[in-house]
Amino acid sequence: MMWNGIKSFMTGRRSSEVAKGRLHLVLAHDRSGLEGGRLQEMRQEIAAVIAKYVKIDAEAVEIQIETRNRASQLTVSSQITPRNA
Amino acid sequence: MGRAIVITSGKGGVGKTTVTANLGTALAQLGHSVVLVDADIGLRNLDVVMGLENRIVYHLVDAIRGKCSVAKALIKDRRMDNLWMLPASQTDDKDSVTPEEMRTLIFELKHQHDFVLIDCPAGIEQGFKNAIAGADEAVVVATPEVSSIRDADRVVGLLAAAEVPARLIVNRISAHLVKRGDMLSQADVIEILALDMLGAIPLDDDIVATTNKGIPAVLEGKSLAAKELLRIARRLSGMETDQRTAGVGFFTRLGRALGLSASPA
Ligand SMILES: Nc1ncnc2c1ncn2[C@@H]1O[C@H](COP(=O)(O)OP(=O)(O)OP(=O)(O)O)[C@@H](O)[C@H]1O
Ligand SMILES: [Mg+2]
Repeated sequence: MMWNGIKSFMTGRRSSEVAKGRLHLVLAHDRSGLEGGRLQEMRQEIAAVIAKYVKIDAEAVEIQIETRNRASQLTVSSQITPRNA
Repeated sequence: MGRAIVITSGKGGVGKTTVTANLGTALAQLGHSVVLVDADIGLRNLDVVMGLENRIVYHLVDAIRGKCSVAKALIKDRRMDNLWMLPASQTDDKDSVTPEEMRTLIFELKHQHDFVLIDCPAGIEQGFKNAIAGADEAVVVATPEVSSIRDADRVVGLLAAAEVPARLIVNRISAHLVKRGDMLSQADVIEILALDMLGAIPLDDDIVATTNKGIPAVLEGKSLAAKELLRIARRLSGMETDQRTAGVGFFTRLGRALGLSASPA
């Protein structure tokens, strides 16, 4: 899950790196006007849509917003469960 | 025709007034004619930072209301040949003037001076809108902290929407904290805000001491902060360029060369 990623990202690192990581995330949300909680709601809806077409584990759908040179990018990624599983 | 530059930050207390006072004094030392405008109506402080608080007769709101001429409201700094200050009113509030009135006032000042530096209040409401109304360019001041950078980013967005080009000053950098990994470096801040860099001012006891006395640090000129402020003034006036002015382009290129990405892990 994304939050585990963030947690491990934040532990055991220099505080300036933690600050940098937090800023990248917070600015991505500020610049896009999308709150973190809303992003998770969107993740669930997208997971439901994907699940209509292919077999997936809804929890495995990851959503991420990041920003580079002031432009924001939304990324959704998901593993597809093998057909015979 | 001079240049009007607004010094702004979003977050309060990061050094706008200190930077305005020192850059203005340094630009005057370099031979430019400079007027400092305190746009922080109701919470003025540029007067005390400059040590000119006992000489105020008229203020910005008087000049806009026509109670006196603009020239009459200016206070001449006697330590310099070519430095003036237009104080804010302490008894009015931020919405007692309009952006249109500010634009007219700044335009008039630009006719008589090489540089008009506008000390912006904290926040992004009416006071901010008034302060940026007449500005040709902006200097965004941020300290290397999450909340300051976040607020600066908001301001950068608003300035872009208002088509005011902005450059960055990082203030209150502590070299030993950066080295220890407990403070964002100037390169980090540039990368996050994607803004061109004017300079990075160290956290310096001399700023506190000179501010106590009402003497801009650059007038004494000995401390590290004063030296950097002088360098920024030269750069602002186009007298000095070096690779650090390349800002974003340079650091982005450097980052790519080192295989670093601009996004979180
Ligand atoms: N480089 C520095 N080193 C040490 N102290 C500093 C430095 N820059 C600013 N300060 C101190 O930080 C405090 C806030 O500075 P200043 O009043 O310039 O901020 P400001 O952004 O104008 O605040 P406000 O938003 O209230 O107008 C002051 O006490 C000032 O002396
Ligand atoms: Mg101030």
